[in-house]
Amino acid sequence: MKRQIAFYRNKLLQDGSAIDQGLALLAQDDGIISSGPDDLCQLGAAVLTRLGGCALILARPPLPISEWLIAHAGSADTLIPPDSETRTFLHDIPILRRDEFRSDPVAALTARLGQRKGVLVEGIGLVAVGPLTLEQAYVNLSSLFHALFVKTLHDLLLQPCGPQEQALLAAVRAWTTPLTLAGLAFCDRADLNGNTQIAHEMERVGRYTVEQRLVDSFFGNISCRDDQQIFISQTAASLDALSGCIDPVPFDNSTTCGITASSELLTHRRIYEQTDARTILHGHPKFAVVLSMHCATRDCAIDDCWRDCPQVRDCVGTPIVAGEVGAGGLADKVVPVIANSGAAIVYGHGVFTIGHHDFAEAFTKLLQIEQACRDEYFRRVDANS
Amino acid sequence: MNGWHGQALHIDLTAGTLQRRQLPTDLLTGSIGGRGLGVRLLRDTIHLTTDDPDLPLIFAAGPLSGSGVPASDRVAVVSRSPLTGTVFDGSAGGTFARDLKSAGVDALIIQGCSPQPVWLRLSGTEASLQPAAQLWGGDIPTTLAALSGHGSVATIGTAGENGVLYAGILFGQGNAAGRGGLGAIMGGKQLKAISVQGDQATTIADPTRLQKANRDILRLFRASPPLFGEFGLQAFGTATFVDLMAQRRMTPTDNFRATVFPNSTHYSGPALRHALHPTSGGCNGCPIACKKFNHSGIPLPEYHTLSHFGALNGLDDLPALLAASADCYRLGLDPVSAAVTLATASEIRGDTLTAADLTPRLEAIAQCKDEGALLAQGARRLAVALGRPEVAMTVKSLELPAFDPRGAYGLALAYCTSGRGGCHTRGNPISYEILRRPVPTDRFSFAGKARMLRIAEDSIAATDSLAVCRYALFGASLEEYADALSAVTGVDYSSAALATVGANIVLTERSYNLDNGFTADDDLLPERFFTAAGSHGQDTQVPALDRDRFLAERCTYYHLRGLTDTGTFPAASGPLLP
Ligand code: SF4
Repeated sequence: MKRQIAFYRNKLLQDGSAIDQGLALLAQDDGIISSGPDDLCQLGAAVLTRLGGCALILARPPLPISEWLIAHAGSADTLIPPDSETRTFLHDIPILRRDEFRSDPVAALTARLGQRKGVLVEGIGLVAVGPLTLEQAYVNLSSLFHALFVKTLHDLLLQPCGPQEQALLAAVRAWTTPLTLAGLAFCDRADLNGNTQIAHEMERVGRYTVEQRLVDSFFGNISCRDDQQIFISQTAASLDALSGCIDPVPFDNSTTCGITASSELLTHRRIYEQTDARTILHGHPKFAVVLSMHCATRDCAIDDCWRDCPQVRDCVGTPIVAGEVGAGGLADKVVPVIANSGAAIVYGHGVFTIGHHDFAEAFTKLLQIEQACRDEYFRRVDANS
Repeated sequence: MNGWHGQALHIDLTAGTLQRRQLPTDLLTGSIGGRGLGVRLLRDTIHLTTDDPDLPLIFAAGPLSGSGVPASDRVAVVSRSPLTGTVFDGSAGGTFARDLKSAGVDALIIQGCSPQPVWLRLSGTEASLQPAAQLWGGDIPTTLAALSGHGSVATIGTAGENGVLYAGILFGQGNAAGRGGLGAIMGGKQLKAISVQGDQATTIADPTRLQKANRDILRLFRASPPLFGEFGLQAFGTATFVDLMAQRRMTPTDNFRATVFPNSTHYSGPALRHALHPTSGGCNGCPIACKKFNHSGIPLPEYHTLSHFGALNGLDDLPALLAASADCYRLGLDPVSAAVTLATASEIRGDTLTAADLTPRLEAIAQCKDEGALLAQGARRLAVALGRPEVAMTVKSLELPAFDPRGAYGLALAYCTSGRGGCHTRGNPISYEILRRPVPTDRFSFAGKARMLRIAEDSIAATDSLAVCRYALFGASLEEYADALSAVTGVDYSSAALATVGANIVLTERSYNLDNGFTADDDLLPERFFTAAGSHGQDTQVPALDRDRFLAERCTYYHLRGLTDTGTFPAASGPLLP
């Protein structure tokens, strides 16, 4: 358990969703093991004991998004993430303000975590629970950060930016790490053959995707085809830990073992059936997600844009489509546009890219789209200032 | 009241009386419905033996039944099992729960024994006992046909009439409270069938909030590979598990002497699809629609039926497996217990079942005649009678389902802590050890499994009490169903509050079992799993379970439940149902 705590501590610091002095991780089996500042660990231990779950993470993000969101939430007691993926998963995010928290912080936090997977706590940051495993707490925390980061950036596009917002944007600029292909190696098309080689390459490219922050927690997926089958990452698999988590799914559906494959299997299959793609990469790069939801149309009659928008919009030269994940019909929306462009952004969700021969093409495209979206985001928000 | 009606129909079969009585509000809010309500209502009678007419047989719907919440129209049938001696509940789908609620009651509480066969007719506010001499001796399809037009029907077959210890209660369309011999309890009361119908709606406190909760649930369903994925339950039904269990080397084969059956592809999901082109259907209001039917509308076998008549008994002939499944349905037998009992007999006698043996043996079991009389007692009693008790693959006398515990250590623990005996459904570790829902865990490790199991058992007990299908938890969680329950009833529940109710149910069941003489010795797997390895694969080793590690984790489980090292309650006992 100690090793696991150290692992996820390092992961949260690496992926930029927490700062060291504001991060506490706790897990319990026979007793509670924790890592982090004493005051947070004490609070966390009391909450975890009452909740009875396996793990709890308290994390202060490296950006002042918590404070900004709480200050702008008015009297609301929850925030609703606008992006579709985390909304499906989190529904809404309770806010726990200092005054509600002061008299009995343990009771207040326990009550909120008894309702939702994570909470935004004034003065602490994000708190997420993992009922079954520490990894689950990490996934919830990471999703919470993703949802709130995206919401903050999206909100900033919709309002004039004052000095506070400028400071926040400066912090965001400093937080974004450079996207680069330097030092990355890819398997040549001629070598991308055989189960072992394909699996190794998927593991490597999955790791690159996480390292470049193009995906959060265990969302995102990756696949490669040969003549007979699709090799695809399993559901709830972290792209930087794909060893043993790749399902071979025959095109003829002669076995049902693919039941553990990614929930986007159908989209991958349709892309392979209807294009000449050899590889597919699907990430949740934050700036692409934010921009996909920034729509100039006014007085539109559609409420659930993420699912029902019939338009193929454009962002940095890449088509944006709406659609619901899994069996919700996303495949029908993505396939018609991806053949020409080699990429598609899904409203409030993420980006699909394809490679015709190898992963280098798919990965480069994903990276370039996110870089272009970053540049475009800051151009728009600067214009707003 | 919203959600609940606050009423139960009490039926005294000995006196022939039927009476509606109020159910106290705190009893309903504290036990919710379904399994929780049934278990709570047994409090004063659970010590009665299973042949005592006063032992109640309870049918309980949930507050969500009839509300339109996805997968919420299940009914719990609760009593004490003649097979296991434990408190026992079965969850059945179809339309019965909806129609029970529409007759204005949350539960039926049936006691006594009728002097002659009867069936219970509940139609709106009218309730009566009808003579069933004409129906007695009839099989399930015949009885369902005879009572068509009376709403939803629950009935027993000849197995229930004759007291087969694993006779089920059938609801039509392949729905059943199949396990544990609840059909024998019904038969012992001379109650052939129950019909329910009415026009009373389940009222909803906050329709707008409910709409949102339902949307949240459905989005999670659609994003869940085991539910709506290409190989999920909607596409293939539970037969989808045939290939998965084979690939994981977890197919109980040859009475659990091996864990892979090469010919399981003969009856896998794709094989059924190819041979039969099944159509889909489901329980009332369930979008998952996991039931599969052949072109004549006959329900196709579930995974455990296929695998146990198949791999466990060495049969790969699809038509024979379909026939065995249909026989069990027709006669009102639990196919899992029947198949394990047959495999036990085969191992002891050193012979192998043939396809031609199946129908005559199942008939003999249902009639309790000739060799069927012993087979009707279940695997443990049969093995004891034949002097080979170690051959019975049971826990607390309940025959194990078709997931081998050597391939998933949380599952091994779950079979033993389950209050109703060897059954995976109480903690369903298949979800997090195999299907990666909600998170993946290492199936070949005991680390942390006691806590995971405790949390999953609480969650499932709460789900059973909402009378929601357990498959819903492959997509949604108590979080979304707490929102739905709050919206329907107007009583605020959080997922934590629901889990607490679940924990109280689990502890109450345990206290009943302890009072009836069960001990930690009963929370144990058969010796075979600790001494013999499963079938290794190219990349997968399936060793025997480490007994010491198993016992240590079981002890951790007891502690997490507030119990002593031996699984009993300390002097100041834990919370039970109010
Ligand atoms: S998933 Fe299947 S068993 Fe469960 S409620 Fe739906 S149709 Fe019935």
